[in-house]
Amino acid sequence: MEQTKLDDYLRVIELCRDVETSSANPFDVDIREKILLLKQRLPELKFLDELLVDSEAMLELAQIVKLQDQWLKQRASALYIDPLLIQLKLKLLPKETLSEAFVKSWHPIAQVDQLSSRGLEKAFVYWRELTPMSERFKSQLGTYGIIPGVVEYSDLVSLGVFTAEEFELGLTRLYDELLQKSNGEWLDYRQFIEGESYGAKVRRAYLLAFLISEGRALLKTEPLTGKIWTMALAERAKGTPKSVAISITGDS
Amino acid sequence: MEPESADRALLERKVRRAFQVLVLQRGRNPGVKGWEMRRHLGRDYRKIIEVLSEDVAPMGLEVFEVKGPDATDDSSRFLLRFKEPPTISEAETSGIRIDDLAVLAASIAFINSKSGRVSRREVEQFLREKFPRWRVDYSLDRYVKKGYLDQDDKGMLHIGWRTRAEVDEKSLMTLILSRAQEAAKK
Repeated sequence: MEQTKLDDYLRVIELCRDVETSSANPFDVDIREKILLLKQRLPELKFLDELLVDSEAMLELAQIVKLQDQWLKQRASALYIDPLLIQLKLKLLPKETLSEAFVKSWHPIAQVDQLSSRGLEKAFVYWRELTPMSERFKSQLGTYGIIPGVVEYSDLVSLGVFTAEEFELGLTRLYDELLQKSNGEWLDYRQFIEGESYGAKVRRAYLLAFLISEGRALLKTEPLTGKIWTMALAERAKGTPKSVAISITGDS
Repeated sequence: MEPESADRALLERKVRRAFQVLVLQRGRNPGVKGWEMRRHLGRDYRKIIEVLSEDVAPMGLEVFEVKGPDATDDSSRFLLRFKEPPTISEAETSGIRIDDLAVLAASIAFINSKSGRVSRREVEQFLREKFPRWRVDYSLDRYVKKGYLDQDDKGMLHIGWRTRAEVDEKSLMTLILSRAQEAAKK
């Protein structure tokens, strides 16, 4: 009995909600019949929860009555056209004709947008509370927001990456290695800079860039194949050096 | 000052005030509610609005009233709008895409044909037969935000207040039906 009693209420609520969330005809709900049903069940309700379900059902029925009112007004207006007919017509029309029909029925609002003191205040508060770009995406993207720049040798020394002695020694070692390996021939740049780790690779590339800048090594690029070649020189090259940007990734 | 000229000066001042109130956007949405008009212009604000509407007619403008949900004077919204629709080229120069307007025209016609309320999903399905998915989603969101369409908490789309204010819906429906007949004949 308990279950049947609540089932009736829940069915009414569900039916009303179905109609509210679809374009179904609200007159499909027989309001009189449902209210009589609720009236008949009302004396059986004892607990607060049950009475709340009853009022919820009444509220849903009231919503349906409101929809019925809107539905009637819409049908009575000249705007109602059979949905299937209008769908067919809309499918037939090209976009240009549809927009033309819209423009011909359009009376745009004329108004002026101006800056108010309230707007200025909002803008000021927004600007004051805005996190700087360098901080905004730090958690997701690490150091995003710092503009790439040039790291000078002096910077690396001050950061403790190199000492002056280590640097000179590293340059000499790399030059000797390149001289030995290239032996007057062009050598694959990427193969040459390959190291035990990504850090070692960057370090070799950095030192090699110094050798090239000083004219102790040459660099040749092949734009079509993307290959880069290098070679050590026994004597320093003369002339104006050109700058070439080479990206070094962890996997190449 | 003569009483007649004093009245005239007062009327002119009120008409000027009405124009300023209508032309400057105050809140998020354009237009001024009836109760605000009463506060700014006094109880006889409708007469002032009538005079203003005549004054702005030579400039191709009119004062238009959109009735509120309860159809009371206070809930009505008054707007200054174009008396005649713009030309296609004028509409294009205002930065509105033809495709976007076509989506709006089709949505308004479809919603009206479904007794003024239809689920957003149904509108999307219908529009996707004619427009790319991304444009449908983007345009619907944009028009809901701008007030041309209204989406309730149950995901149902209705005609928005801005369409009621700016679009002659009867003319739109008639044009769509007549143009479709011409297209079918071709």
